[in-house]
Amino acid sequence: MGTEQAKDMAELAVAKAREAGASYAEARVQKTWGRQFALKNGEPQPSFFSEGYGVGIRVIAGGALGFAATNDMKGSTVADVAGRAVKLAKASSQVLLKPVELDAPRAIKKKWAAPETQKVEDADASWLRGVLMEVDGRIADGKAGVKLPGRLLFLSASLEEKLFVNSDGTNVEGRHPRVNFFGSLTALEGSETVQRFIQQGETGGLEVVKRIRLVEKIEEEAKTMGKVLREAGKPPTDVVDVVLSPELSGIAAHESVGHPQEADRVLGREGAQAGESYLKADSLGMKIGSDAANVSDDPTLEHSNGFTPVDDEGVESRKRRLIKDGVINEFLHNRMTARQLGVSGNGASRAVSFDREPIIRMSNTFVEPGDYSTEELIKEVKHGVFFKSFTEWNIDDKRLNQRYVALEANLIEKGEVRGLLKAPVLEITTPKLWGSVKARSKHMEFEAATCGKGDPSQGAPVWTGGPETLLSGIRLGAR
Amino acid sequence: MRETELQEVNEVAVKAAQSLGVDDAVAMTARGSSRMIRFANNSVTTINYLDETELTVYLAKDKKRTIASTSDMGAESVKKFVKDLFDTAKGLSPSEYVPLPTKATKHAPSPLGYDKRLEDAGEELPALAKRAISASTSAGAKRAAGVIDAGTVEYAILASNGTSGTDRRSSIELNIRSFAEKDASGHGLSCSSSLAGLDPEEAGTRAGHDAKRMEEASEPEAGKYSVLLSPTVASNLIEIVGSAASAFSVEAGLSYLTDKVGGKVASESFSLTDHGVVDGGLGGRVFDDEGVRTGSTAIVEKGTLKGYLHNLTTAKKWKTESTGNAGLVTPHPWNLEVSRGDSSYDEMVGEMKKGIVLTSNWYTRFKNYRTGEFSTVPRDGAYLVEDGKVVRPLKGMRAGDDLLRMLSSVRLMSSEREWIQWWEVDTPTLCPWVLVDGMTITRAYG
Repeated sequence: MGTEQAKDMAELAVAKAREAGASYAEARVQKTWGRQFALKNGEPQPSFFSEGYGVGIRVIAGGALGFAATNDMKGSTVADVAGRAVKLAKASSQVLLKPVELDAPRAIKKKWAAPETQKVEDADASWLRGVLMEVDGRIADGKAGVKLPGRLLFLSASLEEKLFVNSDGTNVEGRHPRVNFFGSLTALEGSETVQRFIQQGETGGLEVVKRIRLVEKIEEEAKTMGKVLREAGKPPTDVVDVVLSPELSGIAAHESVGHPQEADRVLGREGAQAGESYLKADSLGMKIGSDAANVSDDPTLEHSNGFTPVDDEGVESRKRRLIKDGVINEFLHNRMTARQLGVSGNGASRAVSFDREPIIRMSNTFVEPGDYSTEELIKEVKHGVFFKSFTEWNIDDKRLNQRYVALEANLIEKGEVRGLLKAPVLEITTPKLWGSVKARSKHMEFEAATCGKGDPSQGAPVWTGGPETLLSGIRLGAR
Repeated sequence: MRETELQEVNEVAVKAAQSLGVDDAVAMTARGSSRMIRFANNSVTTINYLDETELTVYLAKDKKRTIASTSDMGAESVKKFVKDLFDTAKGLSPSEYVPLPTKATKHAPSPLGYDKRLEDAGEELPALAKRAISASTSAGAKRAAGVIDAGTVEYAILASNGTSGTDRRSSIELNIRSFAEKDASGHGLSCSSSLAGLDPEEAGTRAGHDAKRMEEASEPEAGKYSVLLSPTVASNLIEIVGSAASAFSVEAGLSYLTDKVGGKVASESFSLTDHGVVDGGLGGRVFDDEGVRTGSTAIVEKGTLKGYLHNLTTAKKWKTESTGNAGLVTPHPWNLEVSRGDSSYDEMVGEMKKGIVLTSNWYTRFKNYRTGEFSTVPRDGAYLVEDGKVVRPLKGMRAGDDLLRMLSSVRLMSSEREWIQWWEVDTPTLCPWVLVDGMTITRAYG
C-alpha cells in the first residue's frame, strides 16, 4: 500500500468530515489483493485475480451515524465523499430517537503484521494450480476408494492492508495475509450420493498449506465419504448421549453462543436481517448451560482465520469468555454497544472491505478444552452417537432452535466407537444443548469458516472449534 | 464516471491486451452508486453512501484464461494491470476454452428498469423510513427494524471481437421487520426499479400486522403439512432452482436437475423463466459477461425442464448455444419469473385441510445440492390452517423437503405476483404464492 498517500487520504477524510460538522470521524484506507485458482473435476478453470483500494469514512453528525466509501482515491473525491457522509448523517437525524455515542476514547498508535514465513504475494498461478492438482490427484479416479464425479476445488491467497485513523488520535496500520481452501465433493455409490463442503484456512503465507495438512485432510475426507456411502446404518431413535467432535462443537459455539452474544443483535440493530437474540441487555449472569459449558471467542490466536489484534474501530482486542461455567458472561462489543451497556469495548468490530461499515463480529469461537482425553470421554458413553462432521445446518434468528445433520457419525456402545450412521439429526434448543454438556476433552481442533452478517453482506473469516464435547440425554431428530 | 468514460477505460484495457497478442479480451467496467438507510427500534442506526467503479478484464491466450478486477481506472495503471495479468497467465495451464464469437454485436441500452430519480436519492430515504415505521406502528407493532437501499449501476463492455455496449439499471428496496410483545415479529418488503414504485406504507403495515398477530404464537406438531409459501419464501427456494439450472452447477455435482432435461421436475402449472432484462425487474443487463446478448430463457415449462443456463464454454460442452447467462466461469440467472396461477390467497387457504402459511424464512441450507434436500427456518408471520381456516399463529419450527418433490407437489399458485429481492434473495424473482403439499415440519428437542 502506498502508505504516505493512504495516510494523506485518511487524514484528509477525517479533517473534511470534522470541518463539515462531524463530532467524530474515522477513515479506513484498505487495500486488498487476491489470487484464486479453481479446478472442476480436474479441469483448470480461469484463474481470478483481484485488487481493490479505497477508503471508508464513518462519522457522527447531528447525533447520527453516517458511512461513505469510494475507490476513487483523488483528494477531491475523498473530500466530497467525507462531506456526503456528514450531510446524510445530519439528514437522517429526523428518524433518530437517541443520539449515537461511543465509549471513552483510548487513542492508540500501532503497526502490526500477522506472521508469515513465505510471503503470500508469492502465490502465483502455478503455485495455486500445483497445490490443487496435488489435492485432486489424491481423490480423482476413485483413488480415495470412492467415485467423486463432482469435485470443485478453490485455493486462494489474499492480503489485506489497512490504515485506520480517527479524530480521537488513533492510528493503526495492519497487514493480514491469508490462505484459504474451499471444496465441494460429491460422492456416488450406485444411486446413493453424499456431499461434503470443506473449508480450511489460516492467517499466514504459503506455509499454511503444509501447516494445515491440506492435501492429506482432503484425501481423508474423500475416504470417509466412501465409507459413509457403503457402511452407514440407521441412527437410533431412543434417548442417547451425544459426542460432538471439534467440528460440531465449533459450529454450535458459533451459531448458538457467539451470534446471540453479539451486542448489536441483543440491542436490536440487526433485527431486519440476521435477526436479534434470545438474550436481552440484562441477561449477563443468566445460567444457560451446565457448569461444564464454557465457550469463548479469541481474536488473538496467532495463525487463526479470525486473527484481529486491533479491530476496525482502532480498539485493541482481547479474548472474550462468552459462557463461563454455564453462565452468560460477556457480550461481543463495538464502541457504540459498549457505551450503551456501560462497559468497555472488547474489540469485536470488523469490516471485510473498505466499502463496508465495521460491525460486531466473532473471530475464533470455540468450546474451551476440558480435562478428559478423547478416549476417556468416549468411555463415559454407554449408548450414544458421535457426530464427527456435518452437512446441512441452520438456526432460527433468535438463536434458540438449531439443527446439525451429520455426514460422518458413529454409534457408541459401552464406551466403544462402533459403526457408521446415516445422517443423524441433532435438532435442539440452545438451553437444552448447553445444559446437557457433561464433559469436554483436551483435544482441540479448529475449522475455517466464513461468517455471514450485515447489510450489505459481509462474509468474515473466522475459526470455529473446540474439543470433543459430551452431551447427555438427547433425543435425535429426523429428516 | 458516465458510460462514455467507462468505455474509455475499456478501450485502454482491450488495446493493451491486443498489443500483447492475446487471442481474446473482454473488458467490462461497472460503476455503482448506492445510498442505504438502516433503522432499528424505530430509530435510524446508520446511513451509507457508496460510490465505486470496477474494471474486470478477461484474457485468453493459447487456451490459458484469466480474469482480474481492479478499482484503479487511471490509463497507465490499467495498462500495467493488463500487462501484469498477461504475464501471470503464462504460468497457467490450458483450461476449457471457447473463442469469442467472430461477429461483433453492438448493444444498445435497454430503456427498462431505470429511474433517473434514483441517481441521487439519499436525503429522501429518512422520510421513506419514517413512513414505513409509522405504518408498522399503526398496524400494531411496538418497534421496527429495516433498511432502504437505493441505487444505480452503469455498465460498459468492450471485447476484442468488436462487441461493445452500455446499459444501466436502478433499484430501490425496502425490507422492514416489525416486533410486538413477546418478541413476535412480522416482515414486509417492497422492491421496485423506480422511486415511485416503492410502497413503504404497504410493507410497514404488512410487517406490523403480522407482528401483532404473532403475539400468541405456539409450536405446531411435527409432521407433514400442506404449506402455503409467500412470494418471499418461495423466491428464496426458487432462486436455488435458478442456480441449479446453471450448467456449471450440473458439471460440478451441485445440481438436483442433473440428467433431467426433458423430464418432469415440477407440477404442470409451474413454469420458470429467466430474463436478461424485463419490465419491473430489478437487475440484469442486455449483454452478459462475454458480450453475448441476453434474452428470455425458459428453464421449466409446464413442469418440464427445458434446458440449462449457459455461457460460451458450457454451451460448447453441451453442444448447444449460449443462453446469454455468462458469468465468465459460472452461468447464472438474471431475473427469474415464476408463472402465475389462477387462485387468490383466500382461495388457497380455503383449499388447505391441514396446512401452514409461511410469510418469511431464512437460513436455507442443503444436505446435498445433488439431491436437492434442504431445510429452512420460517420466521415472522406463520399460521396454522385447519379445514380451510386460519386457526392460530405458529413459531419454533423448521420446514424441510427436496426441491424435486416440492415443486412436483405444487397444487396451486396465486394470480397475483410480487417482485422479491432482499437479504435472503439475491436474484430478483417475480413470484406468486405457492401451495405445496406434503412438506415436512419439524421441531427442536428440549
